[in-house]
Amino acid sequence: MRSTMLRAAHFTGALATFSLWASGIGLVLMTVFITWQVFGRFVLNDTPTWTESVSVIIMGWFIFLGAAVGIREGYHLSFDVMLHILPRRVRKILHTVSDTVVIAFGGGMAGFGLQLAQQTWSSTIPNVGWPVGVTYLALVFGGFLMVLFSIERVLRRFAGLSTVRFADIDNTDGD
Amino acid sequence: GAAAACEITLRSSDTHPEGYPTVAAVEHLGELVKERTDGRVCVEVYHSAQLGEEKDTIEQTQFGVIDMNRVSMGPFNNIIEETKVFSLPYIFRSTEHMHQVLDGEIGQDVLAAFEDHDLIGLAYYDAGARSFYNSQKPVKTLEDLKGMKFRVMQSDVFVDMVSALGGNATPMPYGEVYSSIQTGVIDGAENNWPSYESSGHFEVAKYYTLDQHLMVPEVLVMSKKSWEKLSAEDQEALREAARESVPFMRKMWAEREEASREQVLKAGAEIVEEVDKTAFIDAMKPVYEKHVTSDNLKQIVERIQAVK
Amino acid sequence: MELYVLFGTFTVLLLIGTPVAFCLGTASFATIVYLGLPPVVVFQRLNSGVSVFALMAIPFFIYAGVLMVRGDIARRLVALAGTWVGSFRGGLGQVNIVASVLFGGVSGSAAADASAIGGLMIPQMRDKGYDVDYAVNVTVVSSIIALMLPPSHNLIIYSISGGGRISIADLFTAGIIPGIILALSLMTAAWFVAKKHNYPTEPFPGFRIMGSLFIGAVPGLILIAIIFGGVRSGVFTASESSCIAVVYAFLITALAYRTLSWEAFTDATFAAVRTTAMVLLVIGCAASFGWLLAYLRVPAELVVFLQGLSENPFVILLMINIALLVLGTFMDMSPLIVITTPIFLPVAVAFGVDPVHFGIIMILNLGIGLCTPPVGAVLFVGCAVGNVPVWQAVRSIWPFYFAALATLLLVTYIPALSLWLPALFR
Ligand code: NA
Ligand code: NA
Repeated sequence: MRSTMLRAAHFTGALATFSLWASGIGLVLMTVFITWQVFGRFVLNDTPTWTESVSVIIMGWFIFLGAAVGIREGYHLSFDVMLHILPRRVRKILHTVSDTVVIAFGGGMAGFGLQLAQQTWSSTIPNVGWPVGVTYLALVFGGFLMVLFSIERVLRRFAGLSTVRFADIDNTDGD
Repeated sequence: GAAAACEITLRSSDTHPEGYPTVAAVEHLGELVKERTDGRVCVEVYHSAQLGEEKDTIEQTQFGVIDMNRVSMGPFNNIIEETKVFSLPYIFRSTEHMHQVLDGEIGQDVLAAFEDHDLIGLAYYDAGARSFYNSQKPVKTLEDLKGMKFRVMQSDVFVDMVSALGGNATPMPYGEVYSSIQTGVIDGAENNWPSYESSGHFEVAKYYTLDQHLMVPEVLVMSKKSWEKLSAEDQEALREAARESVPFMRKMWAEREEASREQVLKAGAEIVEEVDKTAFIDAMKPVYEKHVTSDNLKQIVERIQAVK
Repeated sequence: MELYVLFGTFTVLLLIGTPVAFCLGTASFATIVYLGLPPVVVFQRLNSGVSVFALMAIPFFIYAGVLMVRGDIARRLVALAGTWVGSFRGGLGQVNIVASVLFGGVSGSAAADASAIGGLMIPQMRDKGYDVDYAVNVTVVSSIIALMLPPSHNLIIYSISGGGRISIADLFTAGIIPGIILALSLMTAAWFVAKKHNYPTEPFPGFRIMGSLFIGAVPGLILIAIIFGGVRSGVFTASESSCIAVVYAFLITALAYRTLSWEAFTDATFAAVRTTAMVLLVIGCAASFGWLLAYLRVPAELVVFLQGLSENPFVILLMINIALLVLGTFMDMSPLIVITTPIFLPVAVAFGVDPVHFGIIMILNLGIGLCTPPVGAVLFVGCAVGNVPVWQAVRSIWPFYFAALATLLLVTYIPALSLWLPALFR
């Protein structure tokens, strides 16, 4: 199991890196578009009408992809004062409960996100022309990755491998 | 007599604040329904966008999460084709013309189109006429408008309209408009009397040109899911109450417009009433050509123009 | 019963260490299912909760802040502050506070301030014979100033949580005077503590050095000028200014200081992505949570309940302040803003409090929470930088808490402190 998980980590690691790069490029694109919006309005007196909507869509994408990477890298905000007073074994169980909650919610994001995307595919985004459903696809991908990365966490824990915890303090837990 | 407790509570969303004519109209409708169903069916209005912006609450109504929704026709443009005609510039010659169209066959036909999208159209409410205001100068002709930056809502038609008039259409969130006019990011925006007043935009953009380019009615819709849960007799009570809430709303709207007008005038706003409207209307040809594409739309436009 | 499901699920998940965003999202999910409504609405709210144009200022300000910390801007601002107040009683403590004022003008993050200013000042203060806990205390509490002075992405979060109709430009302007009062009251506290412990002062370096350090700090100060000048002169809007800040920070670090390698640039971008995704996921999930609160009429009923308790806005504001202070000790700032604004803002408005004023109260209040145990992000950063245990730093922090709480009372009960300046600009 250990070796399988280590091999799987190459794959999920590559997915996370890809998502992080996609998000980073998204942030840079947003900067370029909004700068262009200011330039167009102030200098050219011709305001681009697509920049606002497109930037908001990109933001949705990089939030959900970045948040999924956050599951794998363990950088989400959490409250673990109570965990500290519990024995290590109980803590491990609770970590698995948390990961299961993330799996359920991420699954909801993917499933209901797909439903929303389908329902809104025939509506169009004003001044951009894309289907409204595009905005919901970010939920689908982000949710799917959250499920995948959380399953990896649970399996690694059972295989006796480390998982990065959601707050700095517990970083070495589960070794 | 309304003695019994509500068996069915219909939740209705509105983005306007308490006391606004649309909110009051739906509350009035609720009282009528309650009375006629012996207190079984109640309507509760969630005003001030508590449940979300119009675009979101429309989806929620389609899902059946909320039961009723008072929204502008605008956000439906990209969902239901027929609604586009009401967002065409200068489609209505006057308020009376608009009422004739909405109260007649055409209005009913457009409401019927909602049903394919999980919605039941109950009533049209007034939203007045939208006109341009700006901080720079009294705009009387197309020439005056040239090159001015106007904030518009995120909508293809509205952007194309301002471009066709020679202005610089600038989509922007509503909340940023006041300070943007004040600092000169944009020269102005466009809206009806009550919004021109309540947003405080008249304080920073005192030239209001009554070109009345848009009369986009409001609409009260109901979720098809919630509708089908009602008995036939409750449905009828609701339809009737919706019908009766319309004159109530129109009266309140007229009063509200007048109150806003007085307040704005008292604050020193300069109203331009003599506008060269024919030039504005002529400039709209390319907009109609671009957006009235299907035979269905062309037909509705012709029917509206034929209404006296 | 629905409320028990909502708050119960949230609390239990929070206590077992589930990430806050998922506590909010799953609690909403469970409640929707309990109510028998289509769960799809939870995810629609999540999506539309983050698809807001004004929210874009959060990634931008965070990105600009990361770029600036990597550039040389913080060090230069500290050097400049040293020439201004170094010769006051408690020298470097005063410098630390003034540096937070300057840094606060370019950063909206208290944690960034604590690590940037603390990283520079705490070792220096230790070497000059100041107690480390004093150095940490000053660093930590003065970081709240960065939240009060523009730009502050937390004020943007507040504006959006309040329905998106509260002017961000007004909020930014409203924070200035309270931020300066906070700085002055912290400087007073620092003065008393320094006097008691007989801490040293710094010699005045002379006007020549003062001048050259000022010139060195000019790029940092210019950013403040660009943001303010640009917004006030109509080149860009308040939310667009955040994007201009990124472009400026990039140009300064890449071209002027030449401190930005390709690796440093990608690192900074990824750091901004991580922080933003974390903060905005919480905001999105809180949008679902907030929708349920509205649907279940919680704010409306709270207003009625509180009106039954007292009709005096002073008393109501005191109760809200205490509630926020207690919550603030346990939870982080941005989730608390998104959760509590839809609950408390309607109450405050019903009692005649201006939403802009209430925003400033809330930010200052929750800012204090960032500096308190058991959960205090800024306190942890300060203690980590100073390498002191939290309990040791907290033992001597009370004069600074006192100064911050006194400022909170002033800001709460004198609305003009927040509202006078925005009205002037209107
Ligand atoms: Na700041
Ligand atoms: Na705290």
